[in-house]
Amino acid sequence: MTAALELRGLCKSYPLRDPNGWLPRYRELRVVRDVDLTVESNSIVGLVGESGSGKTTTGMMALRLTEPTAGRILVGGQDITRMEAAALKPFRAKMQVVFQDSYSALDPMFTLAQIVAEPLHVHGRGSAREQTETALDWLERVGLHRSYGSRYPHELSGGQRQRVAIARALVLRPDVLIADEPTSALDVSVKAQIINLLQDLQAEMGLSILFISHDLSVVRSLTDKVAVMFNGRIVEEAATEDIFIRPQHPYTRSLLDAIPVLNPRDRRDRVFRSREDLEADIPRLSAVATGLPPAPTPRLIPHGPGHRYEALVQ
Amino acid sequence: MTDLTTLPGAVPDHRQRSPLHFAWRRFVANKAAVVGGAVLILLILMAVFAPLITKSPPTAQDFLGEALAFPSAGHWFGVDDLGRDFFSRIVYGARVSLSIGFSAAVFSVLIGIPLGALAGYYEGRIDWIVMRIIEIFSVVPPLLAAMLLGALVGGGYWMIIFIAGLFGWVQVCLLVRAQIKAFKEKEFVRAAQALGASPGYIIRRHLIPNSVSPIIVGFVLAIPLAMMLEASLSFLGVGVPPPTPSWGQMINTGMSFMYFYWHLAVFPTLALAVTVMATTLFGDGLRDALDPTLKGK
Amino acid sequence: MIPFILRRLFSVSVTFVIVSILIFTMMHSIPGGPFDAGDMPLPPEVRARLNERYGLDQSLVTQYINYMGGVLRFDFGIPFQSPGETVLELLGRAWVPSLVLGGLGVLIGTPLGILLGIAAALRRNTWIDYLASAVATLGLTIPVFVTSMIMILVFAVWLNWVPASGWGAPDKWILPIAAYATIPMATYARYTRSAMLDTLNKPFVTVLRAKGLSETRIIYQHVLRNSAIPMVTVFLPMFIGTATGSIFVEAIFRVPGLGAYFVSSIRTRDYPLEMALMLMLTVMFCLAYLISDILYAWLNPRIRAGGRKG
Ligand SMILES: Nc1ncnc2c1ncn2[C@@H]1O[C@H](COP(=O)(O)OP(=O)(O)OP(=O)(O)O)[C@@H](O)[C@H]1O
Ligand SMILES: [Mg+2]
Repeated sequence: MTAALELRGLCKSYPLRDPNGWLPRYRELRVVRDVDLTVESNSIVGLVGESGSGKTTTGMMALRLTEPTAGRILVGGQDITRMEAAALKPFRAKMQVVFQDSYSALDPMFTLAQIVAEPLHVHGRGSAREQTETALDWLERVGLHRSYGSRYPHELSGGQRQRVAIARALVLRPDVLIADEPTSALDVSVKAQIINLLQDLQAEMGLSILFISHDLSVVRSLTDKVAVMFNGRIVEEAATEDIFIRPQHPYTRSLLDAIPVLNPRDRRDRVFRSREDLEADIPRLSAVATGLPPAPTPRLIPHGPGHRYEALVQ
Repeated sequence: MTDLTTLPGAVPDHRQRSPLHFAWRRFVANKAAVVGGAVLILLILMAVFAPLITKSPPTAQDFLGEALAFPSAGHWFGVDDLGRDFFSRIVYGARVSLSIGFSAAVFSVLIGIPLGALAGYYEGRIDWIVMRIIEIFSVVPPLLAAMLLGALVGGGYWMIIFIAGLFGWVQVCLLVRAQIKAFKEKEFVRAAQALGASPGYIIRRHLIPNSVSPIIVGFVLAIPLAMMLEASLSFLGVGVPPPTPSWGQMINTGMSFMYFYWHLAVFPTLALAVTVMATTLFGDGLRDALDPTLKGK
Repeated sequence: MIPFILRRLFSVSVTFVIVSILIFTMMHSIPGGPFDAGDMPLPPEVRARLNERYGLDQSLVTQYINYMGGVLRFDFGIPFQSPGETVLELLGRAWVPSLVLGGLGVLIGTPLGILLGIAAALRRNTWIDYLASAVATLGLTIPVFVTSMIMILVFAVWLNWVPASGWGAPDKWILPIAAYATIPMATYARYTRSAMLDTLNKPFVTVLRAKGLSETRIIYQHVLRNSAIPMVTVFLPMFIGTATGSIFVEAIFRVPGLGAYFVSSIRTRDYPLEMALMLMLTVMFCLAYLISDILYAWLNPRIRAGGRKG
């Protein structure tokens, strides 16, 4: 079975202007480097990593909202990396997005019914009346009363707005949902409701979700697989339980160490390490012992089934 | 569907408080703006019903025998040097001033919105070109260029509207551009892009409706600018040609008579001052009410 | 900083060249030349000779290049309206009254406006705040020829305190200077007030207060300095306003300055004088634009790097 979404060697760099030159001079700011990531059908993949590690950029590239500098994006096995707007449009319907900030994610001038009906309108699905009907059904499905259809986003709470954003993302029945920190702005109880909603809808629709998050406890309970990003690269990838129990890369370990724990005795050997320290501490493997060819740069090394982490083979 | 029933508290109540409601409250709290708006409405009514409240047409030299007569019960504002009822001329002057102001504002908005939207949405080269055009317009003072243009084409009613619009769009364009630039990074625009909506659709359906406040503000503030431009050009003799009644023109004439026939200078001066002032106060109040963050810009 | 200045200088020069071409083309497309005046038609051969002498028979491009070549040598030609002198000499004469009256007006109006703005911001919602708002709104909305007219009507015609117009005795300067002063006064009163209020509402001022600094020190050492940036940006519109205003001030008070010649040159289609005046004004505005940009960048290190923020 083909994967729902596949990223192959995806890179993004921004030109950074040197302010002091006489003539404009640019150097490259490499924000995402050589990211390989597969989201299998009907699964939830977590993408975690510190702020600025390139998670959002990766998600936006997958959606073709940011153009990658290199690499390929495959949706249901089809390469969409270089598609023109017209050819891309059907694939856009297959891949939708939910953002962190539910307030700016909804056009303040649209009613909720208009917001949820908009994807149907843009893709010309059904008559205007059917579109509104479907939109109201979806509002109900995400837990809002149908009469909310005539309301405006500013009249809702953050959790309610996020429900509307989810309804809008799913109304086209996409295969893939990219959820960029959809719960970070919500309080704990509302967060749990939204996670439950996503979980239910995922199971019901057979959806594949790329779930970008800071929140490791949510990731642990929701996802099937986790990829850890650091400095624009994926440094470790494994089945969720595997990564939480047997983290291999020092960055993953420090990330897991940062989860607050209740019992002070569990805090024993936690160390908070600086970024520089972590960058220098690349795992080194012996070529002889592992049987892998030595390489000058770090790369992902397999470590058991479905588990890979970045290391330098010498 | 699983156990997701309608949430508690999700039953809607119907006390809807739209953003416009709050804008209206802010506007009403601003006394200067309310007075300005009231005066503006009065002036508009006066201009519309000019034939009903004046006793003779503005260009009719019906009172040659009483030329230069001072204000009296028969002629509230006196009679001008050419024997025309001066009240008539002032009232009809409001027609000229206001209609030029509104038409030029419409014209400014028609140029300013598309250019501002394009520059704001596409950035890059289009933005660069639009900003250079604006830079040219900002190093050439409108009044001087308008004088040149006025001399070039010999003034005239429509020409003044054209010239005022030509210089009035810059403000609207900058306001719309700034708004669209700020909004196009918002997630709801990203979401529309992720749907595959075309840039034209996004600009039309999302970005321009979200720019109504700056557009209204730009429109209202373009009115007094155009009125001032008309008055200034007419004052210098390159604006609306006589005998069409224009306050600027009347002030110019009044200047030659002011030592002896003060009314010819005082009434048009006051009329212009009051109208421009009322419109500006109204526009400023509208701006502060619609978008408190624009205050003082 | 120097690369920034040079970049801005280049961009402003390009603007200047474009504007000068626009003005030149516009002026030469005004229907009718200076020598086909209606009331006194010249014989065709005389007109042709005059046109030839002033180079009006050549192509526009040639005329423009010749003209700009002359400008670089400070040769602006001979004004049609007073052929006894060069444009440069006439301008040299006309500068004086404009500079004296306009300069004094700005010198008096600017500090008054700033003081008024500061007072208004510090004493919000008192009479001085309302006064400042009234001055600012009146001065910014009412065209300067209307303000001038009101001044003449009140102080010269009605109260008869000062003479209304002319140039010569200093008592005739009072009203035009006052008329000029309204422009910077209104502009600065308005922007100082809002810049001060903006700064006073910033969190760092609250922090300073919390630290126990005296209000006077907060205002002199921190608020005023931080309010300076928006003030600099006002310099340009203020300058343009004053320069444009001079046309009306001089027309109303009958001052033989640049503004007065500007009007007469447009009325008589005096190309050389008109062109020289427009170029001079454009140079002035470009310089003002450049200066305000540089000052802005200098006071605000954040934008120095990326150039002008749109
Ligand atoms: N348009 C851009 N130009 C230059 N740099 C950019 C641009 N967009 C993003 N970046 C940089 O790319 C890096 C990665 O950003 P990104 O938003 O993908 O991180 P993130 O992992 O999503 O972080 P967060 O958890 O805070 O959302 C950041 O350092 C950011 O500064
Ligand atoms: Mg992010």
